Amino acid sequence: MKKYISITVVMALMAFAWISCSKDKPVDEDGLLITNRQECFVSNFELLGSDFQTVRSKAPVIDTTACTITQEVFFGTDLKNLWPQFSLATDAKLDPKITGRVDFSDLANPKQYAVVSGNRQIRKTYKIIITVQP
Amino acid sequence: MSAKYFQHTALLFSFVLLMAACKEKEYALPEPKGVLQNDVIKRSFGPNLVGGNMEFAYAMALPASKGKLVSAEVEASIAGAPATWLENRTYYTNNSGVDVPTLIGAASVNSGNKTTVTFTKDTMSSTLRYYYYAPEEARGKPVTFKFTAKSSNGETATYTMGPYNISKMDMKLDLKPVDGAACYISIEDMAIYTAAEAATKAGKIDLVYVYRPAPYNHSFVSPGSNVQYLPGVTLPAGVNRVSKLVKAWNLRDQQLARLQFGIFIDDLDFQKLDLGDSADFAVNMKAEAGIWVETADKKYRAYIFLNALVNGTKTATISIKRYTM
Repeated sequence: MKKYISITVVMALMAFAWISCSKDKPVDEDGLLITNRQECFVSNFELLGSDFQTVRSKAPVIDTTACTITQEVFFGTDLKNLWPQFSLATDAKLDPKITGRVDFSDLANPKQYAVVSGNRQIRKTYKIIITVQP
Repeated sequence: MSAKYFQHTALLFSFVLLMAACKEKEYALPEPKGVLQNDVIKRSFGPNLVGGNMEFAYAMALPASKGKLVSAEVEASIAGAPATWLENRTYYTNNSGVDVPTLIGAASVNSGNKTTVTFTKDTMSSTLRYYYYAPEEARGKPVTFKFTAKSSNGETATYTMGPYNISKMDMKLDLKPVDGAACYISIEDMAIYTAAEAATKAGKIDLVYVYRPAPYNHSFVSPGSNVQYLPGVTLPAGVNRVSKLVKAWNLRDQQLARLQFGIFIDDLDFQKLDLGDSADFAVNMKAEAGIWVETADKKYRAYIFLNALVNGTKTATISIKRYTM
């Protein structure tokens, strides 16, 4: 009986020791896990108006080679108060972060957002080109 | 040895637990107090608007052997509008779930802050509805109610309700702007004007209702907005105010929409509203959507709910809640 207990205790101890020996997983400045993934692209793009309804009149055209997102919005969209939403490759993140409504009204100077890959080594800057439905 | 003791202790303890669990509590029939008693519930929800009513149900009873009800009275801290009344019928709910009224006395009498019903039927229990219509004097103030019942044996029972705040805001329901005709909306007056009328009230016109085929559809635009949002609209002279507008969706205020949604816009929403860098137009609106508005002089904030939009007749039905800053 005693023997069984001591075996269990020893095994538990070994398990603890093993866990404590493994190194911490690397995280970036946002506390997000840095992985080995190299994929770095935008898979989908959404724009919401002040009423949190979509303002897209068409599906977005995402060019991952030229790094542009072309989006047509409804006539009469309030371009000063839009809420962009990006779908990214696994583990990737966006820079700058979206913290609230964004002013897209300067159509001549498109907004730029960088996608950073899971291993934080690759960075691609996307231009958001907004056009208004005629 | 010690393990044995431990075992015994555990066993004993579990017995004690078992015994405690088996004990049943004796139920005793509640003793009636044998005096006149009363109770009140508030039946209406949401912000209490001036001109609107607050509904209460006032229940009173005493044992039949002690006497009968003589009168019921409600005293409001601020006298209600003349429409305020206490029902002179008591209701019971029949097997089909229908409330059936029974007349118990003469119609209620308002005198000062008090509304009174005098019983004419020999009854020992009754539930009367009370409808308080908030007067203009109560705007933005709290109101309390004191319900009093009297019985033939001289007993009196009272129940105090409140304080309830009467909202500062105003409400106007079912205005019907028409494209190209009565399409000038004034938040200050909470009214709709034609071009001829608008020309005489240029300083009060905050929005223009316009309908054009897609992609424009039903739109509410400040007269001072970019002309591209006012296609084919010739504004009367002087109508040029720029209001701030923000579209809203899924905000179907129950008092405006009169739909099943339990959402209410109250004074606080207007006080905390920050329209910041908003647009001066709301183009391509859908039915059951809404618009937050702030007038150019920042004197009024409003929420306009779009009850219905009709393409064929180029009309809309809108309801407004307005708060004076």
